[in-house]
Amino acid sequence: MKPSLRQFILAAAASLAVNTFAPVPGLAQTQTASSKSDQWIHVRVESKDDGGETVRVNVPVDMAVKVLPAIKHQPLHDGKVRIDNGHMDDVDLHTILDAVRSAKDGEFVTVQSHENDVRVAKSGGYLLIHVTEKNHADKEAKESENAEKHSKHANSRESKVEVKVPMKVVDALLSAGKDELDIVAALRALSSYGDTELVTVKDDDNTVRIWVDSKNVSD
Amino acid sequence: MILLAKVGIGLGATLALTAGWVLHEGVIRIDVDEAKPDGAHVHFWVPATTVSAGMHLAPRHSLQQAAAQARPFLPVLREVAKELKKYPDAELVDVRDKSNHVRVAVRDGRLYVDAVTEDGENVHVSFPAETLSDVADGLEEASPGI
Repeated sequence: MKPSLRQFILAAAASLAVNTFAPVPGLAQTQTASSKSDQWIHVRVESKDDGGETVRVNVPVDMAVKVLPAIKHQPLHDGKVRIDNGHMDDVDLHTILDAVRSAKDGEFVTVQSHENDVRVAKSGGYLLIHVTEKNHADKEAKESENAEKHSKHANSRESKVEVKVPMKVVDALLSAGKDELDIVAALRALSSYGDTELVTVKDDDNTVRIWVDSKNVSD
Repeated sequence: MILLAKVGIGLGATLALTAGWVLHEGVIRIDVDEAKPDGAHVHFWVPATTVSAGMHLAPRHSLQQAAAQARPFLPVLREVAKELKKYPDAELVDVRDKSNHVRVAVRDGRLYVDAVTEDGENVHVSFPAETLSDVADGLEEASPGI
C-alpha cells in the first residue's frame, strides 16, 4: 500500500473515531460542576381525590436563574415580576421588611380565631409564616346545598400553610425596587442555602410541597 | 484499478464520516403505539441533523408564521437547550393519575417525553437537547427581525 493511501485511511479512521466517540461539548465539564453542590428546586402536588393525581417538577436552580430572564411575558420580565400597584398602594413592603430584618427573633403576628390561626415570626435567619384555616369545610358546607353531607366531616377538616424563607432570600426578592419582585436574585440567594423546605400546604384534598435540595429527583 | 480503489475508499470514508457525524449529532426517535386491535404503531428514527435541513426545505410562509408566534419563546428555547446539556439524568416533570402518565426527563443530553394515556396510547419522543436550539435558530433565520 502506498504511504499516501495508508495515511488517508488512517486519517479517515481517526476522524471517524473522534467524531463518533467524542463527548458532547461541555457535558463532561458540567457534570463535574453539577456534582459539587447544584441545588434543585422541587415542587410536588398530590391530590387525594379519586383520580389520585400527582405532579412532580424538579428544576435545577441555576437553570431557572438562566432561563427566567429570557422569558418576556407580562408580568414577568428580566427575571422580575411586576406587582400590581392596585394591590400594593397601601403597603410599603420595603419598610415592613426593614422593620422585620432589624428586629430580633420572635413572633411578630399571632392571630387566633375560630376560623384561622396566623403566625408570622422570624427565627434563625428565616421568615416563618404559618396559617391554619380551621373548619373551612364547615363554611363551604353551609354555603352549599349538601350541607348535611359536608358537615359530617367538618370538624376534621383544616388546611395548613407553612412558609419558611431565609431572610436573605426575602431581601433579594425585594431588591429590585418598589413594585417588583426579583425572582432571579431570590433564586441566586436560595442556591447558597442548603436543603430548605420552603412551602408546605396540606388540606384534606391536596398536599403541596416546595423545597430545595441537592438531589435531582423528588423523594 | 488503483484509481477505482482510491475512489471507493474515498467514498467509503466520506460515508463513514457522515455516519459518524450523524451519530454524534444524535437521532430523533418517535414511537407511537395504540393498544387496540387496529391501532397504529409508528416507530421511526430521524437523524437530528435533518431538522435544520428540513427547516430550509419547509414552505417559507409557514415558517414565518411559526416564527412570529414562537419568537417570544426562542431565547427561552436556546437557554433551555444550553442548560439541559449541563445536568445529569433528571426527571424534570412527572404527572400521573390513575390512568395517565406524562413524563419529561433528561438523560445524557437527550430530552425524553413519554405519555401513556387511559386509552392505551403510548407516545415516546426523544431528541438531543441541542435540537431545541437548532429549531430556534431555524425559526429566527426564517423571519429575522420580526
